[in-house]
Amino acid sequence: MARTYSGIRESRPYTYNDLGGKSLRLADDFNKKCLKNADRTFSQGLQCRQINSISCVLSLEDSVFIIHSPQGCSGCVTMGADGYRVGQAHRGVTLIKSPRVIVTNLDRDDVIMGGEKKLADAIKLARERYNPKMIFIFTSCASGIIGDDVDAITAEQQKLTDSILVPIHCDGFRSKICASGFDAAFIAIQKYLLPQEPQPKVKGLVNLFAPTSISYKDQLEVERMLGLLDAQVNYIPFYSSLEKIRRITSAEVSTSICKVFADEFMKELDETYGIPFAHTVMPIGVRNTDKWLLGIADLLGKRKLAEEYIEKEHRRILPQLEGIKKRLAGKKVFICGGTGRSFAAAALIDDFEMELVGLETPTYDFDAQMDIEYLNGIHQDYVVDIANMQPFEQVNLVNRLKPDLFIGVPSWSARLGVPTTHVLDPKRATMGYDGILYLGNKIADQVENPGFNRKLAPHSRLPYKESWYRQDAFKFIKED
Amino acid sequence: MSLVTENPRGTCVLGGVNNVLSAVTRVCPIYHSGPGCCMQTSAGESGQAGLRTPYFLSSVSSPCSNMLEREVVFGGERKLRDEIDGAIEIIDADAYFVLTGCTAGIIGDDVAAITEDYRKRGLPVYPVTTPGFAGDSLLGFETAWDTFLDYIIEPAAVKCPDLVNLLGVIPYHDPHWSGTLEELSRILRKLGLRVNTFFTDDQGIATVRGSAAAALNIIVSPYLLKDTAKKFEERFGVPSIRFNGVPIGATQTTEFVREVGAALKLGQAIIDSVVKSEEKYVYNYFESIIGALSWKRFVVAADAGTAIGVTRFLADDYGFTPVAVIVTEPIWRDSDKRRITDALTNPEYARPPEVSFLSDHYEIRQKIKSYDFTLLVGSSLEDEVARETGAQFHVMAFPMSDKLVINRTYAGYRGCLTLVEDLFNNL
Repeated sequence: MARTYSGIRESRPYTYNDLGGKSLRLADDFNKKCLKNADRTFSQGLQCRQINSISCVLSLEDSVFIIHSPQGCSGCVTMGADGYRVGQAHRGVTLIKSPRVIVTNLDRDDVIMGGEKKLADAIKLARERYNPKMIFIFTSCASGIIGDDVDAITAEQQKLTDSILVPIHCDGFRSKICASGFDAAFIAIQKYLLPQEPQPKVKGLVNLFAPTSISYKDQLEVERMLGLLDAQVNYIPFYSSLEKIRRITSAEVSTSICKVFADEFMKELDETYGIPFAHTVMPIGVRNTDKWLLGIADLLGKRKLAEEYIEKEHRRILPQLEGIKKRLAGKKVFICGGTGRSFAAAALIDDFEMELVGLETPTYDFDAQMDIEYLNGIHQDYVVDIANMQPFEQVNLVNRLKPDLFIGVPSWSARLGVPTTHVLDPKRATMGYDGILYLGNKIADQVENPGFNRKLAPHSRLPYKESWYRQDAFKFIKED
Repeated sequence: MSLVTENPRGTCVLGGVNNVLSAVTRVCPIYHSGPGCCMQTSAGESGQAGLRTPYFLSSVSSPCSNMLEREVVFGGERKLRDEIDGAIEIIDADAYFVLTGCTAGIIGDDVAAITEDYRKRGLPVYPVTTPGFAGDSLLGFETAWDTFLDYIIEPAAVKCPDLVNLLGVIPYHDPHWSGTLEELSRILRKLGLRVNTFFTDDQGIATVRGSAAAALNIIVSPYLLKDTAKKFEERFGVPSIRFNGVPIGATQTTEFVREVGAALKLGQAIIDSVVKSEEKYVYNYFESIIGALSWKRFVVAADAGTAIGVTRFLADDYGFTPVAVIVTEPIWRDSDKRRITDALTNPEYARPPEVSFLSDHYEIRQKIKSYDFTLLVGSSLEDEVARETGAQFHVMAFPMSDKLVINRTYAGYRGCLTLVEDLFNNL
């Protein structure tokens, strides 16, 4: 491997997970490199990296997934399996399958004696039952702390089978940033599934990396746009296969739909296989869609084609945005989301001339800085909360800032009576130019009709003390 | 003991404990665990039980020490104390329970001692020391009750002869728990009783604390809460009766009413009057849907309690033919297996179904495919094998991820009407 990235996002310089303040000051401090590492002395539950590692590969064909953990660590896989079933339904599959998941079910005895035999047993079951092309093995906090040698067991078992064994080291306690789980999965994909030597390139073949939250409609839309550039799309890893994974190394270029998905992997592909990549933004909103498409077009030498298309789409879409703008201009917005969606939503509201008052996003790093500087050029000094959810901070801020709209998971802000919406939609395209109209109308409709949230609020039972709403939302963030 | 299992149902001890804590009003769980445990246990429990989210704290809103490498190496007790301090400062709860994740359990953080410090200072902070890896969410459900018995429930100064504890329905795990507790309470109230469900009607930690005043525990599960029942009796003098799962339909619910009546020595007149009016309610409706739903040969794959309730209703009350029942949660005691088998293999008229105990989803799928049937009742996991066999499929057991359930139930007298409606509506 050309690089030695560990798959732990904290290992990248100037990466912060616990931070809060006003946007101008934070951007300035980041530039001066005077932000300090910190931790929350009180926090709410995070998403662990194992969840992301599993979700990354769960829809691959002809695979078995072994979770080397106690039973609880399979909780989110059931959620991922639902997503996989829905994804199949959207893709017109009638005989909908569940992913084959085997849990080693580490218990008290295994914690003392080690769980390696159970892992070997699970691999044997996977082979005998399904003889799959790939068997993925996910580690856990428990297997990591008790020190099971997963690589050794895997190597030993590999001698007994033609299925490719792919151990993914994703023990939850090693990182606070769940996107590290994507990295762990891609490191394993490279090590165990890709041809180790550079392959002959296929002209126009584009690796399009997309996380599980991308709907089928969005997949079709981004594939259609790339098709306009004469690109042939290798959409991975969702609903793909070993063959498609192996084609990765034959691609001319790579890009991703999400800023924190496969970004490190694309660097690796560039260095090891000579596949350049476009790392830009999520194609939501006019500016982002332009930027995303131009990013990949430049690499393919198709800038002119892209510009013509963009100009044509602008002529079609921009006049239609005027009506939505009239309904939304000047409305104050608070946004909470994962890294990709939060910044995409922030760019989107600019199309409607809305005002950003608060932004909650999981990580502050060089990538985030680019977005925040861009947003600082458009909006007044807004509040930034670097948090993976942390609803206690969110309700404090939303209650104080009183936005006209909250974009993100609505569970808490809805109960403050604030209109809420989301830029995720499993059934409609949200990406590309038509997606802008769809999202714009959705946002406008929900801002104008806050009935459910307004009527719910007086009955709501949020768990926080009244005194909390009067305190500094960031009081629990303490520098190391 | 735990076995390597394909597609296990439910999560770990933390999941079961959290199911209970998140259903008792104004109770705050604090996870002393790695990052991810809050989300895993919520996604794998309430997220698979009709999709309702506990309103107070759940998933990413549950306080969590999010133990990282530093805590794993140097110990997480300091971090836990900070976390508890923060929770007390901002969460408006009546009680705080610290759950022990695998990380904390393996490295040996002393959760019991830390929480005791808080109680010495008059703060209601309690330990749940059974770690995640000790077992599944069913063990967690029992662990929560053990914790209540050890730390919360107080001896009753005055016993209330008309008060009962309704136990055995797992909130945010049994997809129909809310409606079931409401329907069973409705029936018990008709008998003149007051009912502690603990999880409905805004009942909180005070209800748990005062539960020793009850005259009777009514446990609607064929095997759960055995130790709980024993401790309730030994420590607080509250006896228990056990019903083999949630009763569905007139026959089972009338048995339920009569057993409760007998245990509490209620007057025959009131028992007869409740039974008569409720059965009339059901049969007046049945009279108007004769022939709507035609005969089926059915297979059930579900947890023991659900399996017994639905098999007996469809066989004894509705005239369907039971082919086979697969009990899908791990049952460890032979005596429990016998009790469950007995409950399933004594239909009034039909031939008894074949009963098996399988928790591995591959084995469950293979077993189901070995039968000839026209209706499959199971969990969302059985969707795939139902499609393969072409049989009608009805989801009513955990895990259930493709239906939103608010207060729907198949329990009691009224619930069986809903079950028949649902069976017709997904033909």
